Amino acid sequence: MLTREHAIVAYEGDHAIPDRLTSQKHRHYLPLAARMCAAYREGKGQTRQSLHRAIERIFADELDCPNRRVAAFCKLLDESSEFIQDEKGNAAKLRQAVFSAAAPLHPLVTNADPFFENDMATAHRVISETIGKSWPEIDDELFSDLIEFQRMKTFAELEDPKDLLSRYNVAQVQVALFDALRMTIWASSDLKSILRYAKLARLMHRIERLSDGTYRFDFDGPASLLNRSHRYGVAMARFLPGLLSCRGWKMRAILQPARWHRKVFLDLDDSSGLKSPVEPVSGFDSKVEENFFHQWNAAPRMGWRLERESEILHHGQKTFVPDFVFVHEDGRRVLFEVIGFWTPEYLQQKWETLQLFQDKRILLAIAKSIHAKLPIHTTSVVLYKTEISVDEVVKQLVVS
Amino acid sequence: MSPSPFEQARLDFDAGTLVLHGWSQEGIDRVFPHDLWHWDLRIQAFRTEAMHYPTVRALLEKKSVGTLLALERWQSICFAKNELPELRLEQVAAVEAWSRERRGIIVMPTGTGKTEVALRIITDSSCSTLVVAPIRDLMYQWHRRILRSLDYDAGIIGDNTYNVKALSVTTYDSACIHMPTLGNRFKLIIFDECHHLPGRVRRDAAQMSMAPMRLGLTATLERADGKHADLERLLGPVRYRLEIQQVRGKSLADYDVFRVPVHLSEVERERYDRLAAEIQTYYFQRIQEDPSFDWETLCAESNSDPVSRRALQSFREKKSIEDRAEEKLRVLEDLFRLHQGSPILVFTGSNAMAREISKRFLVPCLLSHCGKRERLDYLEGLRDGRYPVLVANRILDEGVDLPEVKVAIIVGGMASSKQAKQRLGRVLRKSGDSRAILYEVVTSETNEVIRSRKRRSSDAYTGTRHRRL
Repeated sequence: MLTREHAIVAYEGDHAIPDRLTSQKHRHYLPLAARMCAAYREGKGQTRQSLHRAIERIFADELDCPNRRVAAFCKLLDESSEFIQDEKGNAAKLRQAVFSAAAPLHPLVTNADPFFENDMATAHRVISETIGKSWPEIDDELFSDLIEFQRMKTFAELEDPKDLLSRYNVAQVQVALFDALRMTIWASSDLKSILRYAKLARLMHRIERLSDGTYRFDFDGPASLLNRSHRYGVAMARFLPGLLSCRGWKMRAILQPARWHRKVFLDLDDSSGLKSPVEPVSGFDSKVEENFFHQWNAAPRMGWRLERESEILHHGQKTFVPDFVFVHEDGRRVLFEVIGFWTPEYLQQKWETLQLFQDKRILLAIAKSIHAKLPIHTTSVVLYKTEISVDEVVKQLVVS
Repeated sequence: MSPSPFEQARLDFDAGTLVLHGWSQEGIDRVFPHDLWHWDLRIQAFRTEAMHYPTVRALLEKKSVGTLLALERWQSICFAKNELPELRLEQVAAVEAWSRERRGIIVMPTGTGKTEVALRIITDSSCSTLVVAPIRDLMYQWHRRILRSLDYDAGIIGDNTYNVKALSVTTYDSACIHMPTLGNRFKLIIFDECHHLPGRVRRDAAQMSMAPMRLGLTATLERADGKHADLERLLGPVRYRLEIQQVRGKSLADYDVFRVPVHLSEVERERYDRLAAEIQTYYFQRIQEDPSFDWETLCAESNSDPVSRRALQSFREKKSIEDRAEEKLRVLEDLFRLHQGSPILVFTGSNAMAREISKRFLVPCLLSHCGKRERLDYLEGLRDGRYPVLVANRILDEGVDLPEVKVAIIVGGMASSKQAKQRLGRVLRKSGDSRAILYEVVTSETNEVIRSRKRRSSDAYTGTRHRRL
């Protein structure tokens, strides 16, 4: 992630607009991105400082390039690189040796005289002999452990230089979110993923189901309701790549930039074109689920349509998104959860979840091999071996 | 017996806040002051900041309503050794002033023994204590002082270490990160250089702690942004204040300030003048077009306008010439000759200048990248006379214990009253009757001279003698 020093945000009215490179306005950045990648590809063995200078030179004649943008590119390229770190502290040892050897010669004067007889050249010679290294070598290594003097070892080549620009665009939104107090998301699909990524980022949620069946999530942290804390902005930035991999959402974050007294909004939705570095979780949990879903919706029975992960059960900060919901033409809904894959921990957790939401009617499809291991006493169970039987499910739906 | 309306009531410490379960709004209104608790819909309970714990606890105990109160995870400590030096009168007064309420701030100039005051308070309290310092060096310094005086190997939280003990030391940044899990572990929390606390995120280090006993230490309470006003809420009011003038000549050495103007070399002067002219022309043009044109507009425009960007770059280049003028190295050489045999501290305005001096004179420079052992070696080396000079950027601004340096040189640097006080504090260590000398090496006819004037006008310099060399 970038740091605040790289942030470029424009404010238009009540809206924060993070810096964004687009293919229309910034077409000329494509060759620049290619040159930047080449500078790093060919820059093995160079210091971080000289790599950054090389990037600055690429932009020297560009009209449209804030310093922060250039610094941000450097940071992103650094993140794709590995630098040689002086793990054994050799440079520090060398410094201590050099300074100790120089101490009796202090002060090193420009021109020696009878009172101060140690000039720099003499000192360099004496110290070289004491340490057993040539002066140019010492000079080169003396501060080689400083971040800006570390030398690059490897650079993870980007598939396409364009990716650097995509990363930049996402990174600018992330860094703008550092100022966020709260984030609201309206979502109609990928509910499970959105909640999972929010939980991974350690955000707290409030969930509200809207009249059209879609959801509104408010994300912030424990202390947010007490003092408009800014400490969760970083968590929201961490959540962003996951969110970008989802579909069917729009987001509004409320930001309060430092030293500002008013709040601004940052709006985004799934059509933003920002490319997530995270792969979308599109697939079904298992082939069994996928087959059943397609089989059912190819020929819906008795007015029941099957929706995927479209309803959230929640209790405090615990949430449960059943795999499917049967939705009847008359508005009735039946939750449907498939339990096939298992580990002891998974079953334990699943059991606890079902206990927590036992007041809801959830139809379960349980693999025969697991059934005995799961102490669930409910009549709404369909057992299956390799395929979930449509007829069995229909029988259960009739009962409801 | 009728069931209590407060059945199953429970007070928890949760992620740096207090959470009260099993209470009704009526109960809350009856027992607690208005606005203390906030209903948290997300967990169906009341929530407030951890720092309100003493108030909450006192009210719960007084009204005795049987709420479960098992959230304190602090303990008492018995120190094997207690070898604190005898306190001076003003230090005794500070300890007494704080001990009446065991909350609040002690303001004492650098070099008047704030650490000893804090150590006395730690031993008097003998309970789980967290000491929060601004930077790693100071954290380690607290660790050493505690080890030396109390023979207690304090826990370290920060610098890639997470070792929590009943008495621990940490930095502001680490305290802020970890307070959601540590907030119920310490009964006494001490903020060294507490003017750092009111930052917008850093204040969490106090807000998210339950500690009923709080001590703030500082030489310079006032912040330019006025946020020091919040310290009363976070730590308590100022209990004791010792002004720098009160101690001069007693605990601190008297000091002289010499300003040494340096001239730019011909090449530098030429470049400097060219840049200055460029900036002036540009500024004059712009201000004629738009009288409200200012520095912020220039910064904003530089993102899209190459001409503004060049003006900004010229300005930075001009400052860098001031900062790193060659002549400064020659002046340093003269001063090193003059004070040979006496340990010297050099403060610079940038890391690059600090390294340049270090490479030119082959003397250690203390930068933020130095590891714990290297820093210690340099600091002790200057004290023992193993190293003649120590160069530092701003890292030594605050509280790092230094040997009794009588000569300090400021080469560039920002003008601010706080920095001036703290930098001066470094050279004002009392030793015998000798006066300390502070040199300011500034580029003449540049903005640095203006900054130097500003520096000298600050409170810390009042009554000192100024001379041009």
